[in-house]
Amino acid sequence: MEQGHDKEAAGAAPPFPDKCTDPYLRCAFNGAAQTALGVSGSALLAHSPQGCDYLVNNAFASQECDYMETVTLCTKLCVNEIVHGGEDILARTILEAKDLPISALFVISACGPEIVGDDIVAVCETLQPEVKFRLVPVPCAGFRGSQYDGIDISLDTILKRLVKNSDEKIPDSVCLIAPHANANPTWTADLEWVQQVLKRLGIRVVATLTHRTPLSDIENVASAETSLLLSHDAGQKAADYLSAAYGIEQICKGIPLPIGMTNTQRWLTVLGERFDAQKTAEGMVAEGEKMVMATCRRKWPMARFLYRTPAAIVADATIGIPLVRFVTEEMEMTPELVALYTSSRPVRELLERELKDLGLSPKVVYGTDVYKTRMSLREVKPKVIFGSTIERHASEGLPVAYVVEVVRIMRQFRMINREYFGYTGILNLFECVQNEWTMGWRSKEKRYEAKW
Amino acid sequence: MENDSIVFHGTLQQLLEKVETGEMIPKLQASHAPMCKFFTAYYVISGIRHVVPLVHGPTGCPLYMSDFVRTRECCEIRGVPLEPTACTTLDESNIIYGGEGKLLEAVKEAYAKYHPDLIVILSCCCSGIIGDDVESIAREAEKLVGCRVLALRSEGFGGDFRSGYEDAFKLIMELMDPPEKMMKGTINILGARWGPSPTEFNWDMDEIERLLSEIGIKINAIIAGGCTVEQIRHAREVELNASWCYDWGQKLGDLMQERFGIPYSRTGQPYGLAATTEWLLGVATPLGMKEKALDVIERETLEVEPDLAYLRQALSGKTAIIEISEFPGPIRALSLARMAAEFGARPVVINVHPYTIKERMPSIKFLLETGVNPEIILTKGLFRLGSFRSSKETEDELEAIVKGYDNPIFFGNSGRFPPCPVVNLTLMNPTFQPQYGFKGIKNIATLVRQALENKNLPRSRLFKGMLYGTRTR
Repeated sequence: MEQGHDKEAAGAAPPFPDKCTDPYLRCAFNGAAQTALGVSGSALLAHSPQGCDYLVNNAFASQECDYMETVTLCTKLCVNEIVHGGEDILARTILEAKDLPISALFVISACGPEIVGDDIVAVCETLQPEVKFRLVPVPCAGFRGSQYDGIDISLDTILKRLVKNSDEKIPDSVCLIAPHANANPTWTADLEWVQQVLKRLGIRVVATLTHRTPLSDIENVASAETSLLLSHDAGQKAADYLSAAYGIEQICKGIPLPIGMTNTQRWLTVLGERFDAQKTAEGMVAEGEKMVMATCRRKWPMARFLYRTPAAIVADATIGIPLVRFVTEEMEMTPELVALYTSSRPVRELLERELKDLGLSPKVVYGTDVYKTRMSLREVKPKVIFGSTIERHASEGLPVAYVVEVVRIMRQFRMINREYFGYTGILNLFECVQNEWTMGWRSKEKRYEAKW
Repeated sequence: MENDSIVFHGTLQQLLEKVETGEMIPKLQASHAPMCKFFTAYYVISGIRHVVPLVHGPTGCPLYMSDFVRTRECCEIRGVPLEPTACTTLDESNIIYGGEGKLLEAVKEAYAKYHPDLIVILSCCCSGIIGDDVESIAREAEKLVGCRVLALRSEGFGGDFRSGYEDAFKLIMELMDPPEKMMKGTINILGARWGPSPTEFNWDMDEIERLLSEIGIKINAIIAGGCTVEQIRHAREVELNASWCYDWGQKLGDLMQERFGIPYSRTGQPYGLAATTEWLLGVATPLGMKEKALDVIERETLEVEPDLAYLRQALSGKTAIIEISEFPGPIRALSLARMAAEFGARPVVINVHPYTIKERMPSIKFLLETGVNPEIILTKGLFRLGSFRSSKETEDELEAIVKGYDNPIFFGNSGRFPPCPVVNLTLMNPTFQPQYGFKGIKNIATLVRQALENKNLPRSRLFKGMLYGTRTR
């Protein structure tokens, strides 16, 4: 189906892949580190040159680790290890860490050692008897793909190595997958909202893959009755594996995550139906919608007159796809550009279903990079952008009135985590719009000086 | 001093000898990981305006630069425009079959997309190991595009962080044209890095520029802190090279002196009156502007005389415990030690990492030659497994060491809680910047005054608990 302004709008691949990109996404090594650092009581050893340790630091911050509890280590490979192999130095570093009070040490290899053929799996197997904690090798060089591929690779290793088989299912239970594959900078609040909702519906969370997840929870994953994927960008492979290996049914599959009133209602309704808790779910919807409307009535936000203002959404699929409906319905703007960091088939199918359902035909760019975003903004000329600090700078010189920073925010610091999921999430997003709108009114220069 | 947590207590000269013999290098592989060669090379190159740093590697390598240096440090903090951080996005197939063809296409594409003044190909671990010939591709590509294309072998494993800076500065020399004329009274400032802006800490550079301008000295280029390719092309037309920090400019300064005969002013960081005077005369004298410089120094000194008097009175007879932990290089600590001694204090530098001593050997030796040889203490916490930043061990050790001295005053940042006045010299608080030059003297005097006058006020339990936990040893 052809949509929007050009062939690219239909999601068709460009005639040849770009050779020179300015990417939004990090590499697979980063995604693997982010996943491993979500396991509590563990440590991470990067088998890499010291620069890759900065990708670990980034993952560390994303998982909100505490350096008093979680240690990250690095083998700091140099020319010598690239020429002669780095297995000895890896073994030495593991032994240096043997007194750490942890339940698991994740050993993640980067590009260099993988190309030269360091066998981290063999090193871990050899040294396992010498250490008290589990050694979990995750070969995940950066060149294996994006950070989302890294999350999938790491989840695959974790599930295949750590999950114990179980014939018994815990009734009304769920395993949460990939909450960290989410560009909301404080995504842990989204996860927390989901956990609260499940608790209220009487659904038990067996394990979260991964965020502050004890090893014992991971070992029990097979006892979950269902799985719930919390990302549109990563984790589907893990859900498929759980289904195939342990008969764990994936729920809420193929519907946008709960951002905005309609998406939240739909998502809660599906959950309620699956777990025979329709009444509770209906109550939550009624109560949530009432709270949102009453709050808005009391706070009286003024940024509600952007009726059919052309808007752009530049984000990951996890936030970006549900935002399409939020921007169209709740905010009454018209998305004329949707640029997503990823381009997988499920992402394309989900977005296209949403656009069709809403009767929208924006320009769509899958797998966007900073250059494509800038060019698309120049072509479409939206007045409002829902995106990141990068778009604030990438749209300089273009007639963009407001850049609502909702993902990968660098301009503002958030001490308190704020969800986009659910009903408070609607208020948080609305607040972002309102604050940007207020900033837009600020005088750029004073016309005269005060006397005093 | 008796303290079982101390692993080294001696002079800088003695520490240097231990580092040179390998006795004082950390043995733990997992301890202390500074940036790799790729990062530091990238820092320097991205300090040229309208450059496309084309990373020949996977997407992880450029993203620290993209997110934190480009967008936050440069666009957000320093107000420079968003410029590309491009990447060939090497994947498994490229690793197996090679990425040279893709790289050539990427250079052409980069030129078509961004219309840059310069493209620099930066190799990283992957392209280095598989043997992609980035230099040949650069030469080939330069024939196909309308700007210079250079290549830099900057594999992360290929050297320490220092080598990345130095190789990048060396590469920049290739852009310098033979001089057509001499720019009288003009210098280059060498050794800048970190994005298209003048140096890491604008305030210090602003102060240097102000003082040079007072004397009548012009700056052709700050290499590579927001300079243009055009300025680099004319870099050989200056009379002299200088740096706001001897260490950072040293390699490029020496090379330009050897190859082009341009003298390099060898002076340390201008902290305090003596070092500031030395810095300014080090630049002005070879340019024949000594008299003018002395006039400026006299005028400026007069203006800060009350601050100088205060610093002499406040620091005389004290022990200045100096620790630079936020950007843990030794040069700043040693410059502060020199300043403390100038004002009558006994400087004791604590926990400069031997790794950083090793990496800055030529500069340390230069400082020793100029008479900077303070007392140094290294503690066990510095060598513990994992990162040494904000560690509970080093905080406990610092607190214990301070107790062993009479009349101590701490020069560091307020992330430490020693039982003595704390002079908060953090670079994270723009309120009292610059720290260089005459304005720096004023600011440092204010910070010392704050430390001494407020020494009895309660410190933050919140910040201490955040940094070091609530447990006691």
